[in-house]
Amino acid sequence: MSVHFSEIKRGANQGLAACHTCEKVAPVKLEKCPRCGSHLHLRKTDSVTRTLALVAAAMLMYIPANILPIMGIRELGVLTESTIISGLIQFWKMGSYPIAIVIFTASILIPFLKIGALLWLCAAAKGIVPHSARVLGKVYWITELLGRWSMVDIFVVAILVTMVQLGNYMTVTPLPGALAFAGVVILTMFAAMSFDPKLLWDQLEREEAEKKAKTEKTLDSE
Amino acid sequence: MRVTSFSLTALILMFFVHTQPFIDMDAASISTNLTLPGASMALIDDGAWAVGLGVALFTIVTPLVLAGGLVYVCGPLMFGRAAPGAKFVTTWMSRSEPWNMIEVFLLGVLVSLLKLGHLAELHFGYGFWCFTALMFCMAAAVAAIDKRELWDRLEVAQQE
Repeated sequence: MSVHFSEIKRGANQGLAACHTCEKVAPVKLEKCPRCGSHLHLRKTDSVTRTLALVAAAMLMYIPANILPIMGIRELGVLTESTIISGLIQFWKMGSYPIAIVIFTASILIPFLKIGALLWLCAAAKGIVPHSARVLGKVYWITELLGRWSMVDIFVVAILVTMVQLGNYMTVTPLPGALAFAGVVILTMFAAMSFDPKLLWDQLEREEAEKKAKTEKTLDSE
Repeated sequence: MRVTSFSLTALILMFFVHTQPFIDMDAASISTNLTLPGASMALIDDGAWAVGLGVALFTIVTPLVLAGGLVYVCGPLMFGRAAPGAKFVTTWMSRSEPWNMIEVFLLGVLVSLLKLGHLAELHFGYGFWCFTALMFCMAAAVAAIDKRELWDRLEVAQQE
């Protein structure tokens, strides 16, 4: 027996919400979770707007993060500045393909995909693009999971700056690109956190309700 | 509970990770070494204080909050008691969880090793092995928590 989507009971219709911190289900009217005291709400406030604002900021930061050098290497008095992409090319030329692929994935692919995924999720929650909630639920989960790995380049800069202090022979200094790149990672992480995946289900329900109303209308006219 | 033992081990390992050098490097008769606090300090000293603070936050503060918090909350819970302020600590633990980047830092260490390998002689220090063990302990502790069960137990313990 299959139950139609619209027939499933939802907590939101009964005035119940799950706490975002401890997951206790409680009446929204209480405003504060009776267990952990966090603020209680059905959906995260202004979820789409906040996510979009953070994604926009991350997109802006993405430009200096890739253009500006993340570190400077001074070797025998000669300064070479290294950007994320030039570091990547260096690994590729050295023949360290696995590392080049790891860096490419962590530093370029993941931030790019993450920004794209968040934009897609926001559009889907607003009903602008057609969607399958099941696929997007996975997209959201992967976005949240992968985001932190982008930090690896920042850690590499930190480690090189610490270790390569060889006086006149060779020194490494951090440059502004590192700050911009760290900014991108942190902003996209906050953006992923402020998105509420439940909005996808709300939108699905609205679409189902519209479809149902339409079929009833055509049945009536016959 | 398994969580307590793993996080207690993680806390002890953290002490070694912070004091023992990860890697020693010898090049041009100068030797340098890497420690976890050293990495953040170097960035701060070199003018990138914002990035340095971020690195300190992700590799030192959050793991400490997570492991310390788990011991503080789960330890007394083993005997059915709730530590004072346990709810507050648990709330902050779940907030800090995504910012714990220990395993990402380890990947960073490996990438840096490949970058430095051709220009200097490198030795793994105790810190490196402690750090690897720490990463596994943290992952095991975090994986062993059932968030809902933890909150349920806290609720029951506090009512008694």
